[in-house]
Amino acid sequence: LADAPSTPSAVAGTRRALLAGAGLGAIALAIADDAAAQGGDTEILNFALTLEYLTAAFYTEAAQGGALSGETAEFARVVAGHERAHVDALRNALGGKATAAPRFDFGGATDSMARFLRTAVKLEDLSVFAYKGQAPLVRSDAVLAAALGIHAVEARHAAWIREIAGLPPAPRAYDRALDRTAVVDMVVATGFLAPTPTTTSGQPPLFTG
Amino acid sequence: MAREVRVEVLDPGATTAAAQDDGESRQRFLGRVIVAGGALTAGGVLVAGLPRLAESAPPSREQDVHILNFAATLEYLQAAFFTEAEVRGGLSGPTLEFARVVGAHERAHGGLFEHALGRRIRGKPRFDFGDSTADVERFQAAAMLLEDLAVGAYDGQGPNLTREALTVAARIVSVEARHAAWIRTIIGRPPAPRPFDPPQSRQEVLQAVDQTGFLVG
Repeated sequence: LADAPSTPSAVAGTRRALLAGAGLGAIALAIADDAAAQGGDTEILNFALTLEYLTAAFYTEAAQGGALSGETAEFARVVAGHERAHVDALRNALGGKATAAPRFDFGGATDSMARFLRTAVKLEDLSVFAYKGQAPLVRSDAVLAAALGIHAVEARHAAWIREIAGLPPAPRAYDRALDRTAVVDMVVATGFLAPTPTTTSGQPPLFTG
Repeated sequence: MAREVRVEVLDPGATTAAAQDDGESRQRFLGRVIVAGGALTAGGVLVAGLPRLAESAPPSREQDVHILNFAATLEYLQAAFFTEAEVRGGLSGPTLEFARVVGAHERAHGGLFEHALGRRIRGKPRFDFGDSTADVERFQAAAMLLEDLAVGAYDGQGPNLTREALTVAARIVSVEARHAAWIRTIIGRPPAPRPFDPPQSRQEVLQAVDQTGFLVG
């Protein structure tokens, strides 16, 4: 096996550092090199960042409220930490190009166990489908490696909350991929995006990079 | 629909020449193993036919074939493991349900790669799972290891694939992650122990598979 292929340690080290969440420096470089500053990987990462803002805010609010108990409370606490870590990593990677956090209004979705479970299942499945839709569009390998590492964790969350909610954790042999438009439509349909007073166009300034 | 795309991507015209090329590489590889006096280990089975493949080589359709064969072997391993566990009768309750559902998923994944690779797929290895498919606790431990390993393997190879082939693999990796979280909930382990799932290199995957002793040739 001496001649078996192996990952050069430098590459492995980079990926490991990236996915350990120790700052996404290589991604930041990739973004700096992104010739089309308004498109490409920057736009994809800002899209992902907005989804992470949403889930981080949702679970943080739910974990701080008193409506959850048992394993559901544990889920909210752990997953809130993960989503906040994703936000930090993506913001670090994007640097000055990171989009600002929107304002959210979760209504009563964090106020009861039943509504929280329904919403969390929807948000986690949506995150899985969203990352899957974007991954093949990513240009930078460093960005892709990080996105895959986050993607898999979202799928773990999805299975976990489904198990708690009494739903099949892995309902199909293949997960769907959703494009950005479909994801945005589904996020808008949640009603969680609060009106943003800073825009004049009538469009929420989300997903624009 | 996606299946046609895969075949188009991964079954290039020169299949005969390519098959011969693979055959030669495999012979050279086997020759080296014999010269070295080593047994044909799990790693040998997994990497047979791609002795010179550098994992960091830029993505190419040729490299896709090797990586998807690597992935197919992992799927075969999982499919055989869960299928045997389901029929052997040692499991019950949620663990049996897990084996039943996940076995079907892994069989579908193996079939997907067969379809995608066409004549360029390598044969199924032989497996020996010992008591791990009969004893509940050993099954659960091995299932968690195999599912976490699959996630790391796909994440590790993702950037080495062409983006077309990645579209195929990406449909599977999240399902493997769901399986990993599911079996972890069943045995009371944290379903999502880290905010970022670590990728695993081919070498790390080979070592982990070797250590299970499940792959016998």
